[in-house]
Amino acid sequence: MEKVSYRHFLTLVVRMVLTGAFVLAALPKIKDPVAFAASVNAFQVVGPEFSNWVALMLPWLELTIGIGILLPHIRSASDILMAGLLLVFITLHASAWVRGLEISCGCFGAESMEKETNYLWLIARNTLLFTGCLLIIFEDFKKHIGSET
Amino acid sequence: MFGFFRELLIIGTLTVVGASFSLYSGWMPPPWQGPSLTAGEIRLRDAQVLDAIWIDARSRDDYDTRHISDAILLNDSNWDEGIQDLMGIWLIHARPIIVYCSSTQCNASKRIAAQLREALPEAEIYSLKGDWEAWKK
Repeated sequence: MEKVSYRHFLTLVVRMVLTGAFVLAALPKIKDPVAFAASVNAFQVVGPEFSNWVALMLPWLELTIGIGILLPHIRSASDILMAGLLLVFITLHASAWVRGLEISCGCFGAESMEKETNYLWLIARNTLLFTGCLLIIFEDFKKHIGSET
Repeated sequence: MFGFFRELLIIGTLTVVGASFSLYSGWMPPPWQGPSLTAGEIRLRDAQVLDAIWIDARSRDDYDTRHISDAILLNDSNWDEGIQDLMGIWLIHARPIIVYCSSTQCNASKRIAAQLREALPEAEIYSLKGDWEAWKK
């Protein structure tokens, strides 16, 4: 019983940390989509036109799934979308690092833009968040299986 | 499985509603508007509160016709003369330097500002957003 409570508590803490990270990342980008479009464009993965659409939609998706992982109605899909997004972010940062791009991450909006990009830190941070996502997906899956049996 | 797709639909709908709010509320500029200021630019209203040294990067004819009061003519054809005039003022009283050319289509203000940054690395140098056209308004 004690072990179950500890796991629930840990899962809740992880969910709240992920919510905090995604909501804090989304709000400045919603406020300044122009700066975020420039950040997306700097990765040189998609064209300027598509960067604009990404800058418009992605922050709202981050906000929705950031809050969504706390809401039972959309929790499962939010967990999986969040893990997918984090994988995309990790891949993009690794790709920019390999290509030697000197760009600001813009992860938490333009105001937080670092002067020098520390790719190792960005990838490590997102990997940690991704691990948290995997944990809550696993816990949800266990709960789902448990409720079916 | 149906429940999962229903959740995706809800998330998608909320995202589209949010993005539509960004687009149509007018509270934030749309992403394709472009940055309001590029690096090294200054708006006229900000420039006017500075006790700045004005640099006119247009042609001598345009300068002779009309220019900002006390502006120094400094362009490619009179670089040596213009930089001497500028140094004479700036060394006595170091102030921000603001460069303008004819209009937003001209690139001279940005180019001259970049050259001045190399010549005077300690100076605070801007190019005026909107250039002479902004001043005329």
